[in-house]
Amino acid sequence: MEDLNNLKIAETVDARGTACPGPLLVAKKSIVNIQSGEIMEVLSSDEGTKRDIPKWAEKKGHQFLGFVDDSGYFKIYIKKK
Amino acid sequence: MEKKMCMGLFSGSIDRLTAAGVILSGAAAHDMEVDVFVLLMGARSFMKVNADNIDSLSESPQLKEEFLDSLKKLNVKPWQEFFKEAKELTKVRIHICGLAGKIWGGEKLEDFIGLADDICGIAEYITAAQEADLHLFI
Repeated sequence: MEDLNNLKIAETVDARGTACPGPLLVAKKSIVNIQSGEIMEVLSSDEGTKRDIPKWAEKKGHQFLGFVDDSGYFKIYIKKK
Repeated sequence: MEKKMCMGLFSGSIDRLTAAGVILSGAAAHDMEVDVFVLLMGARSFMKVNADNIDSLSESPQLKEEFLDSLKKLNVKPWQEFFKEAKELTKVRIHICGLAGKIWGGEKLEDFIGLADDICGIAEYITAAQEADLHLFI
């Protein structure tokens, strides 16, 4: 289990303030900016994203590492396949 | 091989066009190949003269103001933007039903918004539906 507070983040994308499917599309567009094995952090305030992005990541072969709640939003971590 | 989705888009109201757009976004996120067949009421909304003025609801029309206000507050994109973005992200082809176009006075591709790729007949829809992994009718 990775320590989500001590990850080396290759790319952070901010999708806060957007509703579904905003965060998912931000994740989809941004993952091309990182290399295989690198980690992307997605910031979202849309509750559905907590289930949506893990499901998408699993389907696309990326690894969902988990999410961390912050004040009013949360951070999702994906490792690119 | 990526999965294929076929969508029969009969509806031309903003609630269903928005739902169709959100579904297309999901398909795009999964790199699905999508064929959208724009049928009767949908074809009317895809005409250049109408596309920017669609504000009717097919479900619970009395909730129209609440719905439109919520879309605005939530920064939800206009329905056409969902379709446009999906086309940028994955292979989405939008076909206008020839009969539907004619019913509303749209004879040529130029009568429809730029999202439309071609005007086609029912055989193409049926073929795409048969070949698709997922077929939706909205």
